[in-house]
Amino acid sequence: MNLKGARRAVAAGGMVLVLLFPQFSRAQSSAKVPEKTPAKQTPASSSSSVPNAPTPAAQEPSLQDLGFSQQQMQANPKLQARLNRRTRMLKIHQRLGLITLAPMVADLFTGPMAKAKGRNGQIIREPTSANIDMHAALGSATAALYFTTAYYAMFAPRIPGVKKRGAIRMHEALAWIHGPGMILTPILGAMAFKQEQDGEKVHGIASAHGAVAATTALAYGAAIIAVAWPIHLKFWEKR
Amino acid sequence: MKLKILAAAFLLAALPAFPQGPSQWALVQSTLTYHVSSPIHQVDGVSHAAKGKGVCEAGQCNFLVAAPVKSFQSGDSNRDLHMIEATRGAANPMVVVRAHFPEAQIKSSTIYAGLQVQFAGQTAHYAHVPFQVKTQGNEMRITGTVPSTCSDFRFQRPSFFGMSINNDIPVHVDATWRNMKKK
Repeated sequence: MNLKGARRAVAAGGMVLVLLFPQFSRAQSSAKVPEKTPAKQTPASSSSSVPNAPTPAAQEPSLQDLGFSQQQMQANPKLQARLNRRTRMLKIHQRLGLITLAPMVADLFTGPMAKAKGRNGQIIREPTSANIDMHAALGSATAALYFTTAYYAMFAPRIPGVKKRGAIRMHEALAWIHGPGMILTPILGAMAFKQEQDGEKVHGIASAHGAVAATTALAYGAAIIAVAWPIHLKFWEKR
Repeated sequence: MKLKILAAAFLLAALPAFPQGPSQWALVQSTLTYHVSSPIHQVDGVSHAAKGKGVCEAGQCNFLVAAPVKSFQSGDSNRDLHMIEATRGAANPMVVVRAHFPEAQIKSSTIYAGLQVQFAGQTAHYAHVPFQVKTQGNEMRITGTVPSTCSDFRFQRPSFFGMSINNDIPVHVDATWRNMKKK
C-alpha cells in the first residue's frame, strides 16, 4: 500500500470511531472546567434558561430508581394539616407562656407586701387592702394565663410515631413541678388570707404559700430556659 | 504494509482512551447537614437516609440524590416537627437534588455542578456549585455545600421567641459514590 492508501485507511478508521463513539468529541469539549464562582439562581419553572442546569438525558436517573417506598414518597395532606394546627397552637402556647411570666414575677414581688408583719407579742402590721387586692389580682391573672397556656400545649395535636428527644423532654418534665405548684399556690394563698382575716397568724400548710409560689416560678422559668437551650447569643452577627 | 500496521496499532492504542459507554454510580454513604442560625441559636440537622444514583453518558453526568424531609434530625424532636411543618414536609415529603456536570470533572479534584433542588414544593436552581472530589479505587467521595436559602423555597422562616432564623440554610453534602458497572 502506498502513502495515499495509508492516509485513506487512517481517515476511514477515524470516521468509524467517531460514528461508533459520538460522545468522544463532546466529552473532550466539555472537559473544560468552568472556573466560575458559585452563582445561585432563583427558583424557576423552567431549567432551559439556566446555565449548567440539568438537561433531560436518555439515561437520567429517576426517583423511582432509588428504592424509596411509595409510603415515603407519598404526600400526606392530613399530616400536613395536623402539623400546621400543632404549630399554630404551640406558637400561642409560646407567646402566652412568655406573657404569663410578667404577672408571675410581679406577683412574687407583691407577695411580701400582702403579708402581715410582726412577731408574737408585738404589734402586728396588717397589709393594706390595696396590696392584698393587687397581689390577688396578679395571682388570678397568672393562674388564668398559665392554664390557658397549658391548654394550648396539652391539646396541640400529637404526631404519631414521634419519639420525644432533646430539650422538650426537660421542658415537659418541669411541668410536673410548676403544674401542681400553680394549683396549690392560689389554694394556699386563699387559706393564708382567710387565716389573716380571722386574726390568726398564718399557720399550717398555708404558711408554705410563699415557698410553693417561689418553687413554681423557678420551675416555670427553668422550663422556658430548657426549651431554649443551648443559647448562643450572637446578636452582633450580620443577619 | 508498515503504514497499515502503524495505523491499526494507532487505532488500537487509542481505543481505551475513548468512553466505553454509560457508567453508573450508586450512593453508598451520605451525610446531609443543614445549618440554621438565629440570634440565639445555631442548629444542625443531619440525615443519613439519602439514596442516590448517577449516570454518566455522552460526556455528561446526571446524578440524582433524594432524602425524606423527616429523616433530618437536629437532636430535638419538637424542632424537627416544626421544621417539617414549616417546609411543608408532609405535603412534599422528599428533598430531591439533581446534579449535572461534565463527566471529565470526575477525574479532577473539583466538580462544578449545576443543581436542581426540589424542596418544600418549590424548585431552585444553583449553577456552578463546587464540590470537592476524592477518588479511591472505584469509589469517589464528594463534599460541598449547597448555598440554599429559605426564600429560594418560599417558606416562612420559623421563629423562636419572636426572632426569625436567618435566611441562609446552607446544606453540607458528604457523599460516597461507588462506580457500579459499565453498561
